[in-house]
Amino acid sequence: MKGLWREVSKASRKLWYTEKQSCVLCGAEHGPICITCRTNYLRPELRRCRKCGKLVQPEKQYCLDCSSGRGPKQLDQVTAWGHYSGGLKEFIHTVKFKAHPRLIGEISRPFSDWAIRQLPAVDGIVAVPMHRTRLAERGFNQAEVIASALHWELGLPILPGVERAESRSSQVFLSRKERLHNLKGIFVVRQPEYYRDRSVWLIDDVTTTGATLEAVAEVLRENGVKAIYGLCLAAGLEKVTEKRLVPLCD
Amino acid sequence: MLFFLTLKQDYEVNIFPFQEKLKWDSRVVSYLSEPLPLAIIQLVLERLTKGHTCLFGEKSPKTIKNRILKILDDFSWDIDLTWKEVSKGASFLEDPLDLSEDIGNEAGKVFNQFVLGRQLSIDDLRGLARELRLKEEVIIKLAHFKVERGCAEWVPSVKQNEKGWQCQRCGEKDVEEWPSYYGVAATCRSCQSIGVRTSLNVLYRDKCSLLDGPTEILFEPHWTLTEAQRLASEHVAEFIKGTSKEAGLLWAACGAGKTEVCFPSAAWALTQGKSVLFAAPRQDVINDIAPRLQRDFPNYQIQVLTGTTSVKFQVGGMVLATTHQVLRFWRSFDVIFMDEMDAFPYHGSRALEWGLKQALRQGGKLLYLTATPSYEGLKAAQQGKISLIRLPARHHRNPLPVPIWIRSGNLLEANRSIGIWAKTIESLRGQGSVLAFVPKISWIAPWVKCIKQRFAGWCVDGSYSGDPGRGMKIKNLQQGHYDVFVSTTILERGITLPGIQVVVLGADHPVFDERALVQMAGRVGRTPENPGGRVVFLSKQISPAMKTAVQWIEEQNRRALELGLIEPLEKEGRSIEGVVERGI
Repeated sequence: MKGLWREVSKASRKLWYTEKQSCVLCGAEHGPICITCRTNYLRPELRRCRKCGKLVQPEKQYCLDCSSGRGPKQLDQVTAWGHYSGGLKEFIHTVKFKAHPRLIGEISRPFSDWAIRQLPAVDGIVAVPMHRTRLAERGFNQAEVIASALHWELGLPILPGVERAESRSSQVFLSRKERLHNLKGIFVVRQPEYYRDRSVWLIDDVTTTGATLEAVAEVLRENGVKAIYGLCLAAGLEKVTEKRLVPLCD
Repeated sequence: MLFFLTLKQDYEVNIFPFQEKLKWDSRVVSYLSEPLPLAIIQLVLERLTKGHTCLFGEKSPKTIKNRILKILDDFSWDIDLTWKEVSKGASFLEDPLDLSEDIGNEAGKVFNQFVLGRQLSIDDLRGLARELRLKEEVIIKLAHFKVERGCAEWVPSVKQNEKGWQCQRCGEKDVEEWPSYYGVAATCRSCQSIGVRTSLNVLYRDKCSLLDGPTEILFEPHWTLTEAQRLASEHVAEFIKGTSKEAGLLWAACGAGKTEVCFPSAAWALTQGKSVLFAAPRQDVINDIAPRLQRDFPNYQIQVLTGTTSVKFQVGGMVLATTHQVLRFWRSFDVIFMDEMDAFPYHGSRALEWGLKQALRQGGKLLYLTATPSYEGLKAAQQGKISLIRLPARHHRNPLPVPIWIRSGNLLEANRSIGIWAKTIESLRGQGSVLAFVPKISWIAPWVKCIKQRFAGWCVDGSYSGDPGRGMKIKNLQQGHYDVFVSTTILERGITLPGIQVVVLGADHPVFDERALVQMAGRVGRTPENPGGRVVFLSKQISPAMKTAVQWIEEQNRRALELGLIEPLEKEGRSIEGVVERGI
């Protein structure tokens, strides 16, 4: 009986008041993302390398790796909304490993607002695919969930037909070189008609070296895609190159 | 974990767990090309058998396969499903994992021992694999063998019925739905602390009993029961052996020794081959009871399970576990003793309550032990739904100290009011160390400072739940180092401090409900050397909780007196309804 009353009062409150949302990343008031979290994890004033999305000093356009030709070659630009640390990292973990894909809906508005200002509009969105087995185990592909949120907010169509043909070990424990090698030849485009002469956003949840994005981009180029922009929720910090990055505190 | 839908030689449709490197069961003839979640398979099987009992004549593998494919077609997923044949001699993958006969039997026996009566997720099974130093696939295979033999079952962790979803581990119906690769799925939000469960994964439920049958046990009580305890113990035995009520409540006075009262009944149950569970909401209670149990039941294997025990899988017919760990058992215990039913986190948790009831076998007995029963528990006892057993007297035959109320000025805050609390504390200090309870953590520092200032030269300190130095301070407190110790409700239960006096600052604060007040008052007079002591409630007004707390304590004393379990001494404190002592 008490439960029923609670539900009824919750519903009637929703009719009269807009519920105050709490921050998705830290639970404080002023959601969906509070100012503290915005400052800590989203750091809009810092620039990202245009090629691979790593943080660079504000006056630079490219990071050291990319300037010397070691960065991704197939992508026109890579960018990420925030840093893979603290509250944002936990948020992504909760979505992926604690099976709460619905949470992406909480940040879809701020994320898409930001994305459309960072990148040019395109013909469609492509989510980095997961291998069938992993998809079956997890029940959902977090990149697809993010892509679907962007589609919902911005109206950009989702392009199907890219598959991950082989399952390899997770990238997490591999070095940079091993990661690049791990991904050779595993992505396939099954429906090339969607891709010829198109421009796309390539979506994933987290990027560290950009190797996965690069591998998908390579296969997309082979099928005639003209422009590819990588877009992620968070960019990880590579341990090796951490020294070359701008320190996060002034 | 996903399962393959398989067809055996005898046209029986079955399932087989999908693990890479696992070899097929020899009786399997064909299998569906993609593994599916158990919930989907159960749905398919349901539809397969619905309304087609007249299929006897035309049962052939082809029709069965085609019907299954048609049912799956209705789901309109993107997956390409076909039936594949298992070729003789070959296995699912090159280099399969095969158990040689004797390893298989040995491993099987050991596995069996450790999973009796349990309900485990795949992560738990992985943990078992690590503890036994076996490969994960081996454990899954052993688990599946038990399922095939009918001694266990696979259950989807979150199940859907006509009314909605329900988590099979904690009974929670409020789950989070989300669209998955296989249609709508749901994640349970309540029992996440011991692992994430969704409708796409499964639980292994063992149906076997923890004990094979009656056993010889050695019960050596180290504690002679007092008269009060003996009486209560007899009532407990009556309840456990009887058949009328399934649940009971042992309402004991603080410090009356309610746990030891249950030991004889536990011993009886074990000799009858009935499994026993001692459950409590918090680890420290478990760690407190464990040595006492082990001492009284020497040579008997007792499983002690908390969130921080290193060995998660143990053997034994008697289990001592936190209510969270009890979620890993299903219909395994004939007798459950639940200590401190009104404590956090058990109290108010639907999931933990449900989990405890599910751990009880059909026809089993559940006895709640507490000094401060919850509202629901008391109501049920008054309505006769559950048995009520009283243990109103402490072992030293002195009555419980009844709290007295001293009216303080406005807003009891450190530095604000003058004198009253100081006089009180000084007077209490005359009889022993003082334990001062405050309602909020923010009160501690100012009060410690204020008391130090007023009583220069006294040893004063304070602690709270998040205090890193808490362990050390509590040890010092137990050794009598402090003159005054300020604390939040962390010290309200379980701790015995000889000769302590208690003052509750701001006793009318809403945080102090009648149960907290009774427990705090219960810290005084627990030892035979210091059976008396004073409890003072300092507040502006008398809250209803304070009234109820005093009523409960006085009622226990009255009862004890009636039963001749305490000496008819002159009562120390005055009741609140009577004289109100005013501070100057």
